[in-house]
Amino acid sequence: MGPMVPVGACLGLSAVLFAIGLFGFLARRNIILMLVSVEIMLNSVNVSLAAFSHHLSDARGQVMALFVIAVAASEAAIGLGLVLALSRNKQGVNVEDVTQLRW
Amino acid sequence: MSTAGLVLFHYLAAASITSAILAITRHKPIHSLLWVLALFLHVAGIFLLMGAEFLAAVQVIVYAGAILVFYLFFLMLLDLPSEAAAPRFSAHWPLSVVAGGAFATLIWYARDIPAALVPPAPRGASSVGNLATVGSALFTEFAVPFEIVSLVLLAAIVGAVVMAKRKTQA
Repeated sequence: MGPMVPVGACLGLSAVLFAIGLFGFLARRNIILMLVSVEIMLNSVNVSLAAFSHHLSDARGQVMALFVIAVAASEAAIGLGLVLALSRNKQGVNVEDVTQLRW
Repeated sequence: MSTAGLVLFHYLAAASITSAILAITRHKPIHSLLWVLALFLHVAGIFLLMGAEFLAAVQVIVYAGAILVFYLFFLMLLDLPSEAAAPRFSAHWPLSVVAGGAFATLIWYARDIPAALVPPAPRGASSVGNLATVGSALFTEFAVPFEIVSLVLLAAIVGAVVMAKRKTQA
């Protein structure tokens, strides 16, 4: 039996990490770093899932976290494929370079 | 919880937040990715502390070992133009600070609600977090979502190949 980690502290950590990822996604200009910010947000969700799994002694939270990791891997593959296609057509991968679909 | 465990948890949490902030604010993408690697390893330590050994192993192997190395490979092979001269953040970054801060405040006040509403389960003999418990839940109760996730991964592979393929002029 592992030590009892306070669930409130874990949820607070998860909230702070998610907010940092949200800020990074909104504020960075480089598309690759925006994708990395999404990874940080997904990871913070995993922290809260594991915290609830620990709090309730229920393994299902960890199974959900595994699914989140699988979706994060898919998102990395698709997102980087998009960036590759983008960098073939444009110089640079900043969001300011891609404004054709805006408004 | 023992004092040593609590100290370890606070160290891991502080290190996670510090590396996340550094990852978001560094100029060079490579530096950012290395700080994200530090973040993932510290989060894996938190998983270990919560008794989720399998999740910690998956975090290190899949997240740090596969996804992040994939990002690093991509960044090094793509040969991006140097963005040292370009500003890091877009012009509306104060709005992003407000959005992130508002979200963090909201959830910070909500974080004690579940602990108050849902009492912790009795720490019985069934040790959650070992591989057998997670595996039996994954392959019985979550068998259909597990198969759907394999389809999602297949779609991601095919989609990545289709998007990254060079267009040949017919």
